Amino acid sequence: MADLKALSEFLQKGKAKEVKELTQQAVDEGLGPQEILEGGLMAGMDVIGKKFKNNEVFVPEVLIAARAMNAGMEVLKPLLADAGVKARGTVVIGTVKGDLHDIGKNLVAMMMEGKGLTVVDLGTDVPAEKFVEAVNANNAQIVACSALLTTTMKEMEQVVKAFQDAGTRDQVKVMVGGAPVTDSFCSSIGADVYSPDAASAAEAAVELCDA
Amino acid sequence: MTGKERIAAVLCGRETDKIPWLPFAGVHAGKLAGFNAREVSTDPDKLLKSLLEVHRIYKPDGQPVMFDLQIEAEILGCDLVWSDSGPPTVSSHPLADTQEIPDRIPASHEGRLGLELEAMKAMKQQVGAETALYGLCCGPFTLASHLRGTNIFMDMVLDPEYVNQLLAYTCRVSMQMADYFIDAGMDVVAVVDPLISQISPDHFGEFMEEPFAQLFAHIRKQGAFSSFFVCGNATMNIEPMCRTAPDSISVDENVDLAAAKQITDRYDITIGGNIPLTTVMLYGNQQDNMKSTVDLIDSVTPGRLIVAPGCDMPYDVPIENTLAIEQAVHETETVRTMVENYQSSEIEFTGTLPDYGNLQRPLIEVFTLDSATCAACTYMMAAAEEVKVFLEDSIDVVEYKYTLPENIARCREMGIKQLPSIYINGRLAYSSIIPSREELVQRIKEAQS
Repeated sequence: MADLKALSEFLQKGKAKEVKELTQQAVDEGLGPQEILEGGLMAGMDVIGKKFKNNEVFVPEVLIAARAMNAGMEVLKPLLADAGVKARGTVVIGTVKGDLHDIGKNLVAMMMEGKGLTVVDLGTDVPAEKFVEAVNANNAQIVACSALLTTTMKEMEQVVKAFQDAGTRDQVKVMVGGAPVTDSFCSSIGADVYSPDAASAAEAAVELCDA
Repeated sequence: MTGKERIAAVLCGRETDKIPWLPFAGVHAGKLAGFNAREVSTDPDKLLKSLLEVHRIYKPDGQPVMFDLQIEAEILGCDLVWSDSGPPTVSSHPLADTQEIPDRIPASHEGRLGLELEAMKAMKQQVGAETALYGLCCGPFTLASHLRGTNIFMDMVLDPEYVNQLLAYTCRVSMQMADYFIDAGMDVVAVVDPLISQISPDHFGEFMEEPFAQLFAHIRKQGAFSSFFVCGNATMNIEPMCRTAPDSISVDENVDLAAAKQITDRYDITIGGNIPLTTVMLYGNQQDNMKSTVDLIDSVTPGRLIVAPGCDMPYDVPIENTLAIEQAVHETETVRTMVENYQSSEIEFTGTLPDYGNLQRPLIEVFTLDSATCAACTYMMAAAEEVKVFLEDSIDVVEYKYTLPENIARCREMGIKQLPSIYINGRLAYSSIIPSREELVQRIKEAQS
C-alpha cells in the first residue's frame, strides 16, 4: 500500500527518484491523482514552506525539495488533466524591470506551485506592460512582483499603474516582495499584499484565490 | 582619537573615546559629488572626488573605497548589466553549464581592479593617516554563485565535492584580492558574502568554515584586520561565522543586533551594523535616523561595536539622513536630547518669525544640527559667513542649532525638514549640499530682486 506520509517525507529530503517511484506506485495502486498530490506532494512542500519561514531550512533544501516535487508532478500532471482537476488559481510572477535577481522569485513560484496554483513565470527584468499582457492571456487572478534592489522596487509602482491604465486593476490582486520591500511600501504604491517570505506569499496567494 | 585609531582599537577590543562610524557609501558616494552610479564605478577621477566628499561630509572613522561585488566576477567572465542608480548586476554565469574548476586569478590591471587599486592608493595618501580604509572583496560563496549561478545551491546537495573545489578556487581569488588591497594600503579587508544568509548552519560548517577561516588567517598574517559582511537574515549563521575568526562581523537589519552581539562578544569579535537601509535611511527623515541610531546603541552591550548602515547604502539616501546618523554616533548624548525634545509635544514656538516680506537687507538663516560637531553643518555655516565677509557685512547671517529646544520649535514652525539647510529671506535655498560662494551670492541677489 502506497504510503503518502513516506512520499511527503521523501519530498522534504529532496529524494527525487524515490518521490517519482512512490508517486507511480500510488497511482498503480489506484489512488486518485488529487489525493496523491494533496496528501503526499503538497503536504511535503507545506512542511518545507513552514520550516523555511521559521529559518529551519534554507535555499538549498527548498530547491532540492521543489525538484523532488517536480519529479512527482511528472507522473501526476497528465492524470490531473485527464481527471479535469483544475488549479486553485493562476499567478503571473516576475522580477521587475531593471532587476535580474531571481532566487527569491523562484522560491515564491515553487512554493505557490506546491500549493496547487498555476504559476506563469515571466523571469527577470520584466517591464510593467508584460505583466498586464500575461495576466490577460492567462486569466490570472494574481500578479506577483519581486525586486531585490532599492532602486528597482520603485518599478513595482509602475506595474500597479499599468493595470490601472489598462482598466483591469480591479480584476487582479498585486502582490509584492523582496529584500527591501515593506508593508508600508506596499500600501504606498497601491499594491494589495506584501509577503515577507516565500511560504507566506504562497499562503496569501491561496487565500486571495479562495476568497 | 583619530577615526583610524578608533577602528583599530575597537577591532582589538580596546576602549574608544567615541563609537566608530562606518558609512557604506558605495555608489552613493557619487551623489555627494554629482555623479551617477555608473560614473563612480568606472571613472577613476570621479570615484576619487566622490570618496573625498564622503570623507569630508560624513566624517567616517572607517571608509570603504568601493562596494562592488562584481569586480572579480566581471574579470572572470560574467557579463554585467549597468545602472545609473546602483552597482552593476551579474547577468551571466560562465560555469552555469560546466563543472570545470577555473584556475585563473585576476591580475591587478584587469577589468576595473586597476581603477579600484588606484583609488585605494590615492585615498591612503590623502586621508589614510586619520581614517581606516576598507577594501571590500566579493566573498568566496557569492563569487562562486556569480560564476555558477543558482545551480550552486543544488550542487551543495547533489555534488558536494564540486562545491568544495569551486570554493577552494574562489577562496584563492579572495586571498589574492586581499593581498592587492593590503599592498594598496587598506587597513581592513572586508569579505562581503551576502549569500551566506541563504544556507543552513550545517551547510556553513560543511562548505564555508574551512575556506573562510583560511582567508581570515591569511589576512591576519599580512598584518591587516578582517571583517565578514553578510546581508539578509543570517541569524542562524552568526555563531558559525564567529568560528572562522574574523576581527569583525557586519550584519544588516534582518539580524537582531543585540542578540547577535551576545554571540560575537563571547568570541571577542567586534560587530558592525545595522541601521535599516530602506525604511530608515532611504525613506525616513532626520529624526527617524537619529532615533534609530540612538536606540540601536542603547540596545547592545557596550564596546566592540561599529555603527554602520545595514549594507551598501542606496544611491538616493538623503544626505541629511546620513549626517543625522553620524551625529548620533559621535554625539550620542546630545542627539538623545534632540530626539527627546523633538518628540515632546510640550515645546512650543514662543518667539516671532522675522517679517520676511519687509526685511531691510538679506537674511541668511542657517539651520544646523550643530556647526561645532557636524561636518556638513560646519561647512554650511562657513559658506554663509564667508559670503557675509565677501559682501562686506551687507547681509545678516544667523545660525539656529538643533541642539536647543527653542530652535527645534522654530524648525517646526517654519516646516524645516532637513539639516543643515540655508534659508534666504525665509525661503529654502540649500539643504545638505553646500553651495559655493558664487552660487550663494547669486541666490542672494535673485532673492533681493
